[in-house]
Amino acid sequence: MSRHQYLARRILLSFPVLIIAGTIAFAMVYLGPIDPVVAILGQQYTPEAAAQIRENLGMNKPLWGQYINFMTSMFTLDLGQSWVINPGQSAKNVIWSYTPRTIWLGFWAVLIPLFIGIPMGFYAGLNSNSWNDYLTSFGGIVWRAMPNFWLAVILMTILANSEQMFGFDWAGWLVPTDIVTPPDLAFLASPADALFEPASFWWTPGDDGSFVGALKQILPAALVLGSASMGNEMRIGRTAVLETINSNYIETARAKGLTRRVIVWKHVFRNAMIPLVPIITSEAYLLLGGSVLVELVFAINGIGYLFLQSIISGDLPLAGTLIFLFSVLLIVINIAQDFLYTVIDPRVGYQED
Amino acid sequence: MGVSHASSTKSHSETEDDRRLRERIRENPGPALRWAAGMFLLFIAEAGALFQTIGRLLVAVTENLPGTPGVETANWLAWKAQTVPTLLSRETIPNQGHWNGSEWVGTFAGLEPAQAWGLRLALIYLYGCLFVLALWYGYLTYRSAYRTMDWTPRDDQLRRLRHNNWGMFGLTVVILFLIMAAFAPAMSPTTIDQNIQEPYSYEISYWNDDLGQVSTILVGDANFQSVSKGNPSQNVGIMQSDDFGRFHPFGTMNNGKDLFTIIAFGSRISLFIGVTAISIAGTIATLLALATAYFKGLADLTVVLVSDSIQSVPSLMLLIAAGYLFSDTWVATLYDGAVLLALLFALIYWPGMWRAIRGPSFQVAQEEWVDAARSYGQRPLRLMRTHMLPYIMGYLLVYASMSFAGVIISTAGLSFIGFGINAPTPSWGRAINAGQPFVAQASWHISLIPGILITILCVGFNALGDGIRDAIDPESDTDPGEGEGGAAGGGA
Repeated sequence: MSRHQYLARRILLSFPVLIIAGTIAFAMVYLGPIDPVVAILGQQYTPEAAAQIRENLGMNKPLWGQYINFMTSMFTLDLGQSWVINPGQSAKNVIWSYTPRTIWLGFWAVLIPLFIGIPMGFYAGLNSNSWNDYLTSFGGIVWRAMPNFWLAVILMTILANSEQMFGFDWAGWLVPTDIVTPPDLAFLASPADALFEPASFWWTPGDDGSFVGALKQILPAALVLGSASMGNEMRIGRTAVLETINSNYIETARAKGLTRRVIVWKHVFRNAMIPLVPIITSEAYLLLGGSVLVELVFAINGIGYLFLQSIISGDLPLAGTLIFLFSVLLIVINIAQDFLYTVIDPRVGYQED
Repeated sequence: MGVSHASSTKSHSETEDDRRLRERIRENPGPALRWAAGMFLLFIAEAGALFQTIGRLLVAVTENLPGTPGVETANWLAWKAQTVPTLLSRETIPNQGHWNGSEWVGTFAGLEPAQAWGLRLALIYLYGCLFVLALWYGYLTYRSAYRTMDWTPRDDQLRRLRHNNWGMFGLTVVILFLIMAAFAPAMSPTTIDQNIQEPYSYEISYWNDDLGQVSTILVGDANFQSVSKGNPSQNVGIMQSDDFGRFHPFGTMNNGKDLFTIIAFGSRISLFIGVTAISIAGTIATLLALATAYFKGLADLTVVLVSDSIQSVPSLMLLIAAGYLFSDTWVATLYDGAVLLALLFALIYWPGMWRAIRGPSFQVAQEEWVDAARSYGQRPLRLMRTHMLPYIMGYLLVYASMSFAGVIISTAGLSFIGFGINAPTPSWGRAINAGQPFVAQASWHISLIPGILITILCVGFNALGDGIRDAIDPESDTDPGEGEGGAAGGGA
């Protein structure tokens, strides 16, 4: 099987997966033990209102009709409307208005671990079995094992009391910000400012926030959300470097008389990157799932927060839509990872999958 | 793969060995009798606790069955079990007493409550460790006196695990946790009924300093006066006693309940969820892995699709949504939601476990001895059990150990936001939530201790998983990403 065929097969296989994932979402909303109409109305339940919503949701049709309706609307991204969170608004609008903060959080939650975890792992691998190695490895293992929501609570409290505890005021540092607050991303609306009005875009936290301010606000949450990935990247980076260093071609390079720097940068690191690619998937997985708890603790009104609110307030159609969208996202990331993998490592697809 | 070949012959002959094990013991009963005598002594010491647990379990099961058959018998048995003495119980070594002005009344040998409790804790851990050692000794006895083979690959794997410090550290942590969960009622300084569930139905005596005499107070009122609310004047911290002479090893909660009792019983429910979920998921994964590796083709493709679909739904969201949807059904009432959680975790974790053992299963299915067995006309089921299962068991254990950590973190995370285990059953996540406002104040112990314990436990399970992996496959290049997702509990 060539790698193109391999990739094509992966994409082909993702369609049935999408359909099953959609079916799971459908089953949750329409076949679960709680009637979505009852959940939506809650205390305000009247038979007339119920009949009205039932009509709107298309629940008077037979079950297979509802199923086909649901699936076609999901696949055409016509996501219906929000019933409780923002009554009357289209679900698409509601989700869009919550999305930017989650993307901002996810972006930094991927980037920060990459720039901390991988270098630390490589460092530990290059200095294997030294005290520094043990310290780094052990730290990574503990850091990874800490529950995110707990870490978030602790970190938040420490930052809120940084003045008394360390004599360092986090809230007033660089740009004054609140600690438990959603980042203000309005400055992103005018990207041209980055060049023409650099002060207001990058620095001054006016009405529309600034890059530094928003980064500072998201930093603790991103650090917590990325904690598991950071530990993973470190561990795997360490193993990968160790394995590469002990392989024959490094021996050859050394015999040729290459300097240590060339060996490390040109031969070790590039090959050690390969096993780090699949971590991206598990990372995306953790980010999407973990965003619910971390966003709750840090009061960031992103998608995870929206999902929790939609469940608590009984907006089941919206919750089902979100579950489906997350599944789509994960599947897309999975395929992207496979694609990346085939580019980096040409051997993929030739072995038995 | 010489290792797997030998292990499969071992298990094959083990079935024959089982038949003859009784005969071999009859020929040489000495070692077995010695071991049985030791086990019997250990059993006698704790017979009461064992019978009581079984009795309570029977009552709980019969009460939940439709028509409640035999609930009277179960109740009678549970009541009878109370009369069987137990060595390590709060009756034998009581720590709840009061100061009468000159000495402690009601505690073991007149010791202070803290010392009496400490003594009981130490004895329980001693007993637990003895029990584990006795089991290990039993295995060694079997190996040296009754096993026909001098050597099997399992011996080497066990030896490697025993010399792996990291893995043994993990095993120790896990065993300490298991002992805590098993002995939660005897280990906690107070009973769950008295302190947590019905504090206003119990009365305690205490030394009233103002009156200079012994007074009585309802436990609920005493709890109310020993809350930990942040400021130093209203705080019962780690290793402190409250005004009523009650010792709190981990301090009290913000509502005055004993944190150690909550932790101990919380570990019980975590263990229940973990064991139930992982064993169901492991069974599904093993059956599917054997079937897909043996039949390949369409069977494999189907399972790939189903498992991919389940894995494509973020697990925490699935848990939260399902927790809400099933909140009013009878499943959610079983063990205050723990049964529902366990079933959901089983559903969510089997795809990962199946993925982890799919590779090894395919490998073993391609071996010549499987072909040979097939050409001898061996039935698929028997072939899978005797020639394939022993080989993939180790890999399953690795992933199971790491998934256990994930289950514990996720359970705590769900309870933290109010979707996991319902009150009054104690849970670690709810304790963390309750202590959230006090982290930077005097009552930091409420949030910090459960979190630190979860972290230690998860490090332990991960270390044990690493240890087993190194033991079964010393040259394995740690499969990247394998087991990592499971270990992190879906991001909780």
